[in-house]
Amino acid sequence: MSKLEARVGIRMPRVDAPETVAGEAMYTDDFYLPGMLFGAVHGSPIAHGRILSIDTSEAEAVTGVKAVITGRDYNHVLAGPFIKDETMFATDRVRYVGEPVAAVAATTPEAAREAASLIEVEYEDLPAVLSIDEALAEDAPVLHEDLASYFCTFEGKGTGNTLCAGDLTEGDVDAAWAECDVIVEQTYETGAQHHLYMEPSGAVAEPDRQGKVTIWSSLQSISLAQQRVAEWVNIPMAKVRMVAPRIGGGFGGKGNAHFQPAAAALALKTGRPVKLMLTRSEDFEMMRSRHPSRVHMKTGAKADGTLVAREFEVILDCGAYADDSPGVVSVAVLMGRGPYRIPNIRARGVGVYTNKLKAGAYRGYGNPQVSFAAEQQLDELAEKLGMDPVDLRLKNTMNDGDRWLGGQPVAVSSAAKCLETARDAATAAPALPDAGPDRKRGLGYALFSAPHGLLSTAANVALRTDGSIAVATGAVDIGQGSDTILQQIVADALKLDLDQISFASQDTDSSPYDWKTAASRVTYMAGQACLNAAIEAREKILVHASDLMEVAPGDLELRDGGKVGIVGIPEKEITFGMIAGRAHYQTGGPVVGASEIMFETPAVDPAVAQSKGLAFSKVGAYSFGAHAVEVEVDEVTGEVEVLRAWCVHDVGRAINPAMVDGQVIGGFVQGLGYALLEEMVWDPDDGRLANPTLMDYKIPTAREMPEIHSIILETPFGDGPHGARGVGEPPIVGAPVAIANAIANAIGKRPTVMPMKPERILDLLDGESA
Amino acid sequence: MTFSRPSTVEEAVAALSAGEQVAPLAGGATLMAIANAGLVELEGLVQMAGVGELSGSSRSDDGTVRIGAMRLHRKTAGDDLLIDGQRVIADAAGQIGNPAIRNMGTIGGSVAFADPAADYLPSLLAADAVLELAGPSGRREVPAADFFLGWMETALAENEIIVAVRVPPAPAGSVGIYRKMSRVAGDFATISVALVLQMDGETCADIRIGVGGCNPTPVRVPDAETALVGSDLNTDAVDVAARQITDACEPQDDVRASAAYRSRVLPRIIGRVVTEGRQIALEGS
Amino acid sequence: MTRNIPVSLEINGDPHDLRVALSDSILDVLRDQLQLTGAKRGCNQGVCGACTVLVDGRAVRGCLTNAAACEGEAVTTVEGLAEGLTLHPVQEAFVEAGAMQCGFCTPGMVLATAALLSENPTASREDVVQALSSNLCRCSGYQVIIDAALAALETGVEIGGEAGA
Repeated sequence: MSKLEARVGIRMPRVDAPETVAGEAMYTDDFYLPGMLFGAVHGSPIAHGRILSIDTSEAEAVTGVKAVITGRDYNHVLAGPFIKDETMFATDRVRYVGEPVAAVAATTPEAAREAASLIEVEYEDLPAVLSIDEALAEDAPVLHEDLASYFCTFEGKGTGNTLCAGDLTEGDVDAAWAECDVIVEQTYETGAQHHLYMEPSGAVAEPDRQGKVTIWSSLQSISLAQQRVAEWVNIPMAKVRMVAPRIGGGFGGKGNAHFQPAAAALALKTGRPVKLMLTRSEDFEMMRSRHPSRVHMKTGAKADGTLVAREFEVILDCGAYADDSPGVVSVAVLMGRGPYRIPNIRARGVGVYTNKLKAGAYRGYGNPQVSFAAEQQLDELAEKLGMDPVDLRLKNTMNDGDRWLGGQPVAVSSAAKCLETARDAATAAPALPDAGPDRKRGLGYALFSAPHGLLSTAANVALRTDGSIAVATGAVDIGQGSDTILQQIVADALKLDLDQISFASQDTDSSPYDWKTAASRVTYMAGQACLNAAIEAREKILVHASDLMEVAPGDLELRDGGKVGIVGIPEKEITFGMIAGRAHYQTGGPVVGASEIMFETPAVDPAVAQSKGLAFSKVGAYSFGAHAVEVEVDEVTGEVEVLRAWCVHDVGRAINPAMVDGQVIGGFVQGLGYALLEEMVWDPDDGRLANPTLMDYKIPTAREMPEIHSIILETPFGDGPHGARGVGEPPIVGAPVAIANAIANAIGKRPTVMPMKPERILDLLDGESA
Repeated sequence: MTFSRPSTVEEAVAALSAGEQVAPLAGGATLMAIANAGLVELEGLVQMAGVGELSGSSRSDDGTVRIGAMRLHRKTAGDDLLIDGQRVIADAAGQIGNPAIRNMGTIGGSVAFADPAADYLPSLLAADAVLELAGPSGRREVPAADFFLGWMETALAENEIIVAVRVPPAPAGSVGIYRKMSRVAGDFATISVALVLQMDGETCADIRIGVGGCNPTPVRVPDAETALVGSDLNTDAVDVAARQITDACEPQDDVRASAAYRSRVLPRIIGRVVTEGRQIALEGS
Repeated sequence: MTRNIPVSLEINGDPHDLRVALSDSILDVLRDQLQLTGAKRGCNQGVCGACTVLVDGRAVRGCLTNAAACEGEAVTTVEGLAEGLTLHPVQEAFVEAGAMQCGFCTPGMVLATAALLSENPTASREDVVQALSSNLCRCSGYQVIIDAALAALETGVEIGGEAGA
């Protein structure tokens, strides 16, 4: 095997690329275990109803069926990350079409599906609520009558169909309006985007004779899934082992277990391995979506462009269960001011239950929705003030030493630099040939930020007897490339070649804890843990070397390929292997570096802001980005084509610039789909998802891809490995609203509803309300 | 459960008639998708790929091009036998789905399935194509204009198959173009327009306009076309015709667009396509 | 699903005599009977392209290709591209360019590119975009995949007959 240089700051290929291109990477559905059964889920056919009876006898009679399970076979354990409101199977009540009611294991997938379809469930229909307005109507049917008794991890639990509500205030908004020379006020709406990871969700569960079940499943966290399986199947976590296979994308949608406990339960009941794969349509109907939102926002400024006050309310349509919603609501509130100085803020965030599949975490986590409003308001203000929208932003961007909404200090701000870089790139680019007849061009900007610090993680770096290094973390690579990034960080710290590092795949039996691959936090947090662990190992190595070579540690240096040498004497060096031999068998014990990290900076400083009911108390470590986007609007059809984009992201330090580009360009295109195209639609008559297939739900193809320039800035932020921050989410925060601003720039009318489909744009062009 | 591999049209028809729920398998692009979704219970399949008469394309002395039902979209898209206004068929073929789908899908399969948003349908109307059918009661010919009866409903009788699509010669020097509006590349058409146009100097000598995606069947309105013949295709005249065609459509709300949107945009797209066709015709002459 | 239809075909150069069910796709057979799992089941409806295989050298949808209809055909899957430990030039180009994130679409993208390489070795960027528009990717935004395909075309032309050797 060739020597692979792995250093911080280089564009090295992914470590797992060869098996990926060879088709040998093992995703969940690629496991075929001896004696394996196949699972299928029976989902509710109605959006809201009481379960009167469940008859599984016909299903059990199907040839090849080995087990049929329903909620009645398990304790009624309520679970959820913020509000414990969801059970493994609906037992008394169903709250969305597709909600799991029962599951089957059989010898063939066909038998399992047939049996699942033969489960007879008698329902009493209840009226369903499918929108924010319906849910909040006075006489609305209440989805969770027991909400008051549910366990909740924060203080903002709501009542009725309001599952959570939180407030955040700084300054005196009511008094501040009087200081404003211009005020803009508008309501903005956004739709439900589906994650549409290319790999549908699934699980393979294998039991053993000690009552333990091993599960391979496409998930963004092994630790959270282990906890959920244990809760719902009602067994100790010691009896649940989650192993990360290759993950075919997540984007937030695979953040926690869902039907995986059912697969585990079937395996434990039958004593055989069970594979439970969702079809694409089941994945659409059962998993998660991005929250549809309604944001009402009012912003005021002085005549010179100084921003004075903002008031906003974000209402998120959360679907039938709380899942991550309270967190998403909180982030939407915290990001509602963007990277600007606005001294007077009053914000409210509300999450609402509806009879749809649950909305959950999705890349951006509430930030794209609130930014769709906030960054359009900047443009609206600029227009009223007669100012250039970039100049207005630059006048108000936060600087070093300012504070984020809530009061967290801004150590280093590169907001202005990001925006200036985007403007310089866009204006320096040669103009495109003229648009055809009936077509208008426009250029739009967005400036934004996103948080990366959240909860805890850990890493181990251990020296093996031959001098090679074993690295372990619990952070799952869901496709973004963290396995490569983390190895680069360790290799760099220890001056190793990649061949000298063994990187453990994630397994709850052996991996250190990591909360989740989410919040753009893996490089920032797990990367820092790996670096800390490597540095600790390095210090121990140097102490051993110092003893062996009889020189002070300060006179020693690491040399490439796992060696320690005496500074200035090239021939004086020993290998890590020699050090390991001493440590393992003579002195000191094995060399192990370990690190645990928790993000502990409070989001809200009571001296600065008053808050009530927010779900995240400690979140932060923000980064900055700015997008400039050029669009062309077809005035005949209302179609919008994105022509060019300049995406500037300050990542502190690009550990692997190729992967930063991948996040930026991929995130931009996903944002393009969100902005113009993608929307899950529910049939108002029966609450069924009307477009649960790839025929009906469309995402951008290679032919929709514009010319995208990823421009990386590297302003070290202080903390984070080598000053690095995250970049997974920021691109999708900026893309939709930059596109909206470009459309408004092109046609002189402002789109307030996303996706900005041709029909809605045509309404604007023709002067009809969108 | 039988899978038959006939080599003649008559064998194929006999195989289809051998049982209930026996379906003809052309390229599979539609049938397999339906089967995978569990929407059809099959008891038998008759593979059409081995039926020699269904393959290839040929041109007769009078300029008629006969396209075998099993001809792949890829082949039709690149078929040089289609000339002048007949190109409308090739243009449509090249815009179906994406290259992989065009490697699989056949003209017979697509036309028989008769999805109103399928690309071939309006182009067959604009080209005055005729369908050659074969069934248990023998062979017959049905003009494309009479073939599409309703939403995914055709003139095909039980166990009858499409043998070929016959495209008569188009007026000399005419142009044939197909334009579609779709949500993304490769999607079915939200709105599509097929145009065959012959210009005599600045005057429209012949025009045929087929519309897809806006009605349960593809639409053509001969009266609207007649009014344009002899005109210089000025904006007002085209607009009148476009509105007349639009009035003949009964669009549906679906996930691609609302009916109202289609009614609003269709006349504008017709205008745009006629303008483009006119330009090409004038440049070519 | 009775597997009662005999079918003989060649997969990655090896002859196979199989029994398949009426509506089995070649994807079903490759994955569930032969455990050739490089072709992925992404939508099972012919839209995503993750199941791409080559039949007679042409890129088609594995999920829409009826297995019984493949009698006598030569099927190539992504597993059939590499020669032992030596990756195909297209695979090499994808590794070099870093043309993947989650990798689920990668086998399909690689095969679509390999088919284009053999059909049109002088394909333009526009041709590449057309060819790859058959396959969906949710992670990358396509740019790096298009770049990899163009690099593969260049390499393929340069080394001529060695492509695939």
